[in-house]
Amino acid sequence: MANELNQIMIIVLIILAIALAFSIGANDETLSALVGTGALKFKIALIIGGTAIGGGMILTSGGFVAKTVGSDILGEGLVYTTSMLLTVLISSILWLIVGSFAGIPLSSTHALIGSVVGVIITYSIFQGGVDPQTAFNWEKLGNVILSWFISPIFGLLITYILFKIMAKLYLTRLKGLNQIEISENYFKWILVIAVIFAEIWVGANSGEALGILYGLLDNGSISFEQYYLYAIFCGIFAFLGIYIAARYVIKNLAIQMTDSRPSEGLIIQISSAIILMIATLLSLPISHSHVIVFCIIGINLAQKKEIETKSLSRMAIYWVLTFPIAAIMAGLLYFGLMSIGFI
Amino acid sequence: MILEYEEKELKKKSIDELTHLFMDIISKQNLVLIEGIEYLIDENHEQFNTNMNHVIETTTEVQVKKAFESKIFKSKLIFSKADRLKLFNKINEIKNIGEFMANRMLVYRIIFPDNEFKLRLSRILDSLKLISTDLSTAVKSIGTDLNKAHDICEEIKEERRKMRKIEFQLIHRLYHYDMDYLSRTFLYLKDMVEDVMMLADHIKTFSEYIQFLSIKYLIFK
Repeated sequence: MANELNQIMIIVLIILAIALAFSIGANDETLSALVGTGALKFKIALIIGGTAIGGGMILTSGGFVAKTVGSDILGEGLVYTTSMLLTVLISSILWLIVGSFAGIPLSSTHALIGSVVGVIITYSIFQGGVDPQTAFNWEKLGNVILSWFISPIFGLLITYILFKIMAKLYLTRLKGLNQIEISENYFKWILVIAVIFAEIWVGANSGEALGILYGLLDNGSISFEQYYLYAIFCGIFAFLGIYIAARYVIKNLAIQMTDSRPSEGLIIQISSAIILMIATLLSLPISHSHVIVFCIIGINLAQKKEIETKSLSRMAIYWVLTFPIAAIMAGLLYFGLMSIGFI
Repeated sequence: MILEYEEKELKKKSIDELTHLFMDIISKQNLVLIEGIEYLIDENHEQFNTNMNHVIETTTEVQVKKAFESKIFKSKLIFSKADRLKLFNKINEIKNIGEFMANRMLVYRIIFPDNEFKLRLSRILDSLKLISTDLSTAVKSIGTDLNKAHDICEEIKEERRKMRKIEFQLIHRLYHYDMDYLSRTFLYLKDMVEDVMMLADHIKTFSEYIQFLSIKYLIFK
């Protein structure tokens, strides 16, 4: 009976992980900068972007961020149980739903890692008999949390510096609107490459779905072959997420971006892609949206444009709160399930 | 005075060229309007009527407008498309004001109160001519040199400030004539001064828009 329940939970987890991959694609707004410039037809842009995000996810599924979330973050000898993974997923999904209803942009990465921490602490204290101090790979966890603070700041700095260099070498030399239009037309095509590059690393750094599957691989619930098969499914569903669901958000944002300059979009995309690439190669799951927001701030600072500090500080509060709240929610949920004898 | 254009010829022109052509037509029309008011000051009513009717009846700009609109909506200039369209519409607004003025001025045959009034009105018209020509240069500079366009617009704003002073002097003069004027004459002259200033104000607002564009598109060191 317990084995059957475990099998059901594994199937549910695989389905939820694939659904999560779909939602990663569905929430991706990277393409809006490209669609806004009108460089590619909308459907073609969706296909290229979807392929890049799905491809990035599949190509890095063998390790990197997925391994960090699904295994490396835990202390030596500790592996996720299926019920832990299920609680982590349910808790982070709940917190993201609450955020969506409240109209707060939250990071799914922060919510997931927060939920992992909450579940593992509860497990260590009440169930596993594990010392919470050895339940985590503190170095890895510390690096992950540190990267959440460093990555946006680096995003801001890279964007600022890139813009200043480009302005000094080229942009300030453009005198008339015709010249600006011609050069922006070239930037539009470079932006296509930059967005594809960015999408690959967005997919590669979106470790939530693959992290869960890696957890199942790590605890022996699924084999390597199965893991890679499901990783491919995740890639395909991320593609479908963009193609089916993200199109509305992308279209709306693209309409607002029609008068934004492709050169600015290019700098933002290159900067965020560089940050995501470095973080992925260092196996650190970071928040793409946080990086993008800081890249936009960087470009505004470089042009001495006004920055809306009020909404930014509101956003910052929720960013900081996501991790502890997700941890508390997941901890309580796990404790609740434990108390009723489900786990 | 103003040429008619072949549709084929217009289709060949770029968005920038059509904007320049449109600006030229409207600017010329403006000069015809100003010249007409000068004829009125000289009491050459026949020529005044000819000029005013010309302003009202000219339809060349409609051809250019149609050619521009069909081009801009298909254009791939995404990020500056809306501004290009707005710029064009602002030029068109000059034509509308000119037409409105010409129609209003044709309703009554005015006799000016004295030479001083005529003189001051002529000064305002000279300024209007100047800012109208400057605006045309500024619009044509947008494509090649936004800094130059910005500076010209600054001069337009300065000239408009001078015009405002003369406007108040004229209105003041109008209210303080000893003779008890026929209300028609008073109204006509008051409306005429205000209409001239309405055109000047539009040119000033237009200049501010050009300055906004230069700040929006230029990246400063």
